[in-house]
Amino acid sequence: MENRLRVLRAERQWSQAELGERLDVSRQAVNAIETGKYDPSLPLAFKIARLFGMKIEEIFDDGFDGEQND
Amino acid sequence: MTDLSPMDDAPAEGSIGRPIAWMAAAGLATVFTAGAIVGVIAASKEDGGALSTTAIAIIAAFVAIIGGLIYAQWRLARRIAASGGEMTRRERLNRNIMIACGVMGGLIGLVLAITSDTLTADPLTVFSEAPLPLALAILLALFWGAVMPVIAWFWHTRAIDEQEAHAYRDGGYYAAYAYLIAAPTWWFLWRGGILPEPNGIAIFIGFSLIWSSVWYWKKYR
Repeated sequence: MENRLRVLRAERQWSQAELGERLDVSRQAVNAIETGKYDPSLPLAFKIARLFGMKIEEIFDDGFDGEQND
Repeated sequence: MTDLSPMDDAPAEGSIGRPIAWMAAAGLATVFTAGAIVGVIAASKEDGGALSTTAIAIIAAFVAIIGGLIYAQWRLARRIAASGGEMTRRERLNRNIMIACGVMGGLIGLVLAITSDTLTADPLTVFSEAPLPLALAILLALFWGAVMPVIAWFWHTRAIDEQEAHAYRDGGYYAAYAYLIAAPTWWFLWRGGILPEPNGIAIFIGFSLIWSSVWYWKKYR
């Protein structure tokens, strides 16, 4: 899943360690999320969204932009 | 999506998997080289007691190798520390628990080596089924059966984050399937007379290695 975490972090001039401290995760976790190697859990995604004052879908993109078919 | 190119030019933070792997390899090489020194001393004792000039030269070479390995580990540790800024609180706690476990594991190995009848550098002695003194056996069983679960519980609830828990869980799946497939296969082949009797410690070590390898790959890739 693509995300804007790296850009948002850079805009605030935070290191991965600083972001990790704010989210209570390791630098490896921040790195894995930024590079798309790990998708965060819903609680962590909400925590990230709250930290940046944004909605989850404004940070994470699952690539789905078509219309919902039932 | 915002353009990522300006950030992509910056060195990747947190990509410390490779230096950690090299550090682990250097640590293992240090242990085996130290074992080789013990082996040379043991061989000299068997041959009559005093160390020959050749033996001293070999030991000196091994000591130099250990010195080089320790220096390499120090350099790698500095490189790891320099990447991605300071460690987070969880990382520090995680590291401290790992160091404590390593020290305790080393102590167990040392106690087992001291209590064994002969000084040996054979790494296969880990598979030994020789009897242990009762007090030592109870002490080791208490440590492994009562202290380790507490450490594991503390580690899982306080030190690791969800990404590492995920990596650890994946490692468990791979290890469990390897066990479910390999152990009965070995058992069948033993009953067919092709392989020696299944060895519990060998299975345990294989299980642990697969679990640890997958955990490492998933955490640091």
